[in-house]
Amino acid sequence: MKLFKNIVLTSSLLFATSAFNNASANINVFTCEPEWQALAQELGGDKVTTFSATTGMQDPHHVQARPSLITKMRNADLLICSGADLEVGWLPVLLRRASNEKIAVNKPGYFFAANHVKLLGVPKVIDRSQGDVHAAGNPHVQTNPKNIAVIAKVLVKRMKTIDPSNAQYYQTQTDNFLKRWKQSVRKWKKQIRPFKGTRIIVQHASWDYLMDFGKFEQVATIEEKTGIPPTTGHLVDLVKEFKNNPADIIIHAGYQPNKASKWLSQRSNIPEITLPFTIGGTDQAKDLFSLYDNTFNLITATLKK
Amino acid sequence: MNWQALDLSILGPAFIAGLLVLSTHVPLGRLVLKRGIIFIDLAVAQIAGIGVIAADQFGWDDSPWKVQIAAVSTAILGAMLLRWTEKRFGDIQEALIGVMFVLAATLSLLLLANNPHGGEHLKDLLVGQILWVSYEQLIPAAIIYAALIFSWFGLKVGARFPSAFYLVFAVAVTVSVQLVGVYLVFTSLIIPALVMRKLEGKRQLAYAFVLGAFAYALGLIASALFDLPSGAVIVWSLAVSGVFASIVFKKKLSLVNN
Repeated sequence: MKLFKNIVLTSSLLFATSAFNNASANINVFTCEPEWQALAQELGGDKVTTFSATTGMQDPHHVQARPSLITKMRNADLLICSGADLEVGWLPVLLRRASNEKIAVNKPGYFFAANHVKLLGVPKVIDRSQGDVHAAGNPHVQTNPKNIAVIAKVLVKRMKTIDPSNAQYYQTQTDNFLKRWKQSVRKWKKQIRPFKGTRIIVQHASWDYLMDFGKFEQVATIEEKTGIPPTTGHLVDLVKEFKNNPADIIIHAGYQPNKASKWLSQRSNIPEITLPFTIGGTDQAKDLFSLYDNTFNLITATLKK
Repeated sequence: MNWQALDLSILGPAFIAGLLVLSTHVPLGRLVLKRGIIFIDLAVAQIAGIGVIAADQFGWDDSPWKVQIAAVSTAILGAMLLRWTEKRFGDIQEALIGVMFVLAATLSLLLLANNPHGGEHLKDLLVGQILWVSYEQLIPAAIIYAALIFSWFGLKVGARFPSAFYLVFAVAVTVSVQLVGVYLVFTSLIIPALVMRKLEGKRQLAYAFVLGAFAYALGLIASALFDLPSGAVIVWSLAVSGVFASIVFKKKLSLVNN
């Protein structure tokens, strides 16, 4: 009996909240990665409900099929993903299964962050022998905090189109966010300025935008072909190459196994660090602000040693 | 619990995919068990994967049909090889299948070292995800399965040609791994057949099919309610239902033997 009561209670509660949602014209936001969930939350405040298909400890290239993903996507008014083929392995099938008109291609509810910033790493010649190179360019745009501001400005327009009754609210939220963001970006710039030209070895080619922001120099990639474990020959070459002219740090993302980075670090005595890459990638990266705080603190702390 | 996901339009195609896979794998599972070559499906799936990588190498990956044809033909070649080893080295067939599986899996790694893009196709092939399946995708699979079932039970090719089992098996597995993935193919093949091993004839097939269908339904509902990856939950549901059925219907399931 008690169970039955609980079910009735929960379902009536659910019904009540969904009715409430409609009344205040909430936007249901489905995001592919946690950084876009956080951004939507910053701009939408209490007028949006957000969901992220992946966490900071998951590889956004691959997602396991769960029924709730289809339900959530069916109820979404706005879809935010990185784009540039990052989610190509699962997003198109999921979109097809959800068949939600509001977030269909070219609808206001279909938002790809990578479409709104200048993409780096666009291959001059698309040479398929080079690994999982994204023909559209490098999709990991969130590693440069300046991109977040650019994307926020476009995203708020979409939110206003989808929910015009709260347009003023979204604009105020965004202005407020951008003001705080600008100050933070200035702070981060200042924090990393002394380390301009730092020579960095990356595990996976996911940090192009960070290099651009910090004016760092990416001297080598451990995954010689993107997405494929390095060959022994390549690792040995790296050890030799950096014996006399060592790089400053080796970095890799929180969701990636760090075996290859560790291996190289031990043999070359170059310090190796795990950066959050996105929210939830480390314990400290809890929102957009702490994501970059943590990233730049980790880098500068290691370089100061 | 997530009651919202309990939606027929979400779980329906996945359930039908499960029934289709069971329709061919229940009868095949019985034979696989009888011959003691339970890992043949893993080996055949890996061999089909080599075909996919080769297709990519030759630049045939532009059309899904060419990729499918490459996968099926390689699987058939592999099956013929297995048929030959069965004739020549029947007593060590199971061990040879194991070796073949490892060789096929590592050969694909070696081929991929120079052709990373094949990796995506290989993954698509081996790690089919039952929940992403749509009704349109099920139509070609249903046609192929129907043709296989007809040739097996209608034309009785198994009785006429000893190598027919391997051919039918290769085609069925290549189709089903793409729908539901390697783990579910293995479980659908082995567990119902294992539970019903002491029954015979039509009754064995019917009971095994009902057990499988029940487990797919239960697994899909559980994965919706607890929001867990569907394929993995169904594998467990098949195992738990199998154990449960063997205990509850112990007498019934061993009747024929006495």
